[in-house]
Amino acid sequence: MTTPTQPPPAPMPAPDPSRTSFPAAADPAPGRIRTPGALGALYRLVLRHQLTRGRLVLFGVILTICTILGWLIGRDNVSRVSDAVDVVSAFGLGLIVPVVALVLGSAALGNWVEDETLVYVWLRPVARSRLALAAVAAAATVAVPITVVSLGLMAALGSGGDADALLGTVIGTTLGSLAYVSVFVALGLLVKRALLWGLVYVFIWEFFIARAGDGAARLSINSYASSLLADYSDQSIRLADRGLTASYVVLLAVSWVALAFTTWRLQRASVA
Amino acid sequence: MTIDSTPPPPPPPPSEGAAGAAVADGAAGAVPPPPPTGAPVAGPPPTRPALLVPPTATVVVDNVSKAFGSLVAVSEVSFAIEPGVTALLGPNGAGKSTLLRVLCGLTPPTTGRILIGGGDPRTDAGARARVGLVPQQDGIFERDTVYQFVHLAAVLAGVGDPQAAARAALNAVELDPGLERPLGAFSKGMRQRAKIAAALVHQPPVLVLDEPLNGLDPKQRRQMISLFHRLGDEGRTVLVSSHVLEEVERFGTRVLVLAKGRLAAEGDFRAIRELMNDQPLTYRIGCSDPRTVAAELISEGLVAGCELTEGGGLEITTADAVGFRRRLPAICSTAGIRLEELTPLDADLESVFRYLVGP
Repeated sequence: MTTPTQPPPAPMPAPDPSRTSFPAAADPAPGRIRTPGALGALYRLVLRHQLTRGRLVLFGVILTICTILGWLIGRDNVSRVSDAVDVVSAFGLGLIVPVVALVLGSAALGNWVEDETLVYVWLRPVARSRLALAAVAAAATVAVPITVVSLGLMAALGSGGDADALLGTVIGTTLGSLAYVSVFVALGLLVKRALLWGLVYVFIWEFFIARAGDGAARLSINSYASSLLADYSDQSIRLADRGLTASYVVLLAVSWVALAFTTWRLQRASVA
Repeated sequence: MTIDSTPPPPPPPPSEGAAGAAVADGAAGAVPPPPPTGAPVAGPPPTRPALLVPPTATVVVDNVSKAFGSLVAVSEVSFAIEPGVTALLGPNGAGKSTLLRVLCGLTPPTTGRILIGGGDPRTDAGARARVGLVPQQDGIFERDTVYQFVHLAAVLAGVGDPQAAARAALNAVELDPGLERPLGAFSKGMRQRAKIAAALVHQPPVLVLDEPLNGLDPKQRRQMISLFHRLGDEGRTVLVSSHVLEEVERFGTRVLVLAKGRLAAEGDFRAIRELMNDQPLTYRIGCSDPRTVAAELISEGLVAGCELTEGGGLEITTADAVGFRRRLPAICSTAGIRLEELTPLDADLESVFRYLVGP
């Protein structure tokens, strides 16, 4: 018997290796677990769950609509670069990018919360930051190509192949998608029915309120993504004059803060 | 080991065979705690006796409560468990799943603390690595194959050879690693086994299973119970929850009984059953001459009441279950009566809880 003043429990006895039916595991020292393949495994897991048949159909429809819009704009030979940039900004960056990012980002971790499968990854000795990073990276891996190809086709067809408009579209779409995906991954972890709340945010805030005036536009991801498009294409877009550096900084900062918030949220989550 | 979170009521005289069980506060009766076998987790607070932790304890739950708003799901629960199979018994809604979630670090306790191998699983990755959990819910990565599912668990646990570990774990639960069907197409029993394989894949010293036999057929149940015993015999701590009394009897003898969020009793299952013998119990007797048996039992003062049932049987209530069970065969034999059935009608789980926590 030990004395009453001795603190905590005795070390955990490891299973007797000679009696185990499987290879005996080393008893890990607290806080010293190495999981070298965890980030890649989590990334592939999220990625596998991103591509459903319904989403592929949705992305096909988006690609078709963007192609048709670009072709229609391109038929006008007078101001087609300006028109193409306007449509890419308003419809592409203002609607297509956030909706695609919402569908993918909110589901990345949100679906696991809803179907109670998060426990299978949460309980493992993996840093929460890796789980958050894997979710954002996997969602962005799908969202960025979908939106860049769709909006790139729209810009290329609409502007008659204007290289600056295309470059601005690619950069604005990439960084805009990344920022939106990061925000919506966090949203998926934060609220139930994240898709619904995300749609409210996209349509009410980004699509209407943020276009009402400069003050609200400064709090809109779309404004900074459109600023990149405006700067690179050398076109003027309403409420999109944030400056090149500020746009890069804000979009990357939003992505980073959302990622950090997701990590923080995972650390404090109550998992079902 | 025994935990008393509040001063216990004056103990009634313990019955035979009850020494291995302790009924905690809130119960209908209590027995004196056995002598200390280990050290307290910490200096005992003035209002609460110290939790006695055996040196070989692998899981320590120290005065843990969990509330969701005004709803207290788990209240001041303390225990320490050692390697081997321990059953967590309780009716639906008793707080078993909440307690297991807190124990694994999935949700923080409102008060108290958990130690697994000396670490808090909520904040210590090393402590989490010691645990394998089979959660109660059906949710599973439905698009993955069973091998992908278990292999992922191995990689995330940092197992050196995840392929070999995944195959070994799947073999242990008798699932073919080569199955190409997605988990969504699996039967409930196969999913359950996949979850057990994922929990086992990193060879955790502590295995926590929340109602693991749900959805399994009788043969699979036998196999799983056998597996749990084997793991316990290997020196692992296996904590299995259930609301089915018959299952718990087969899990092993060590039980924790949770009722209304409180630890109602802990110790040897058979001892807890024996404690019930001090309470009026009802039995059904099937025999060739129930009237004569009833008359004999009444004349010997062994029963408090009896009733002839429509099917020709006899139901009796006795406050002296031990004496009744000892005398009944002799009475039948002396009178030349064939005894066909003796069924305790109170030995269901609800009866156990009624007894332990009162009406």
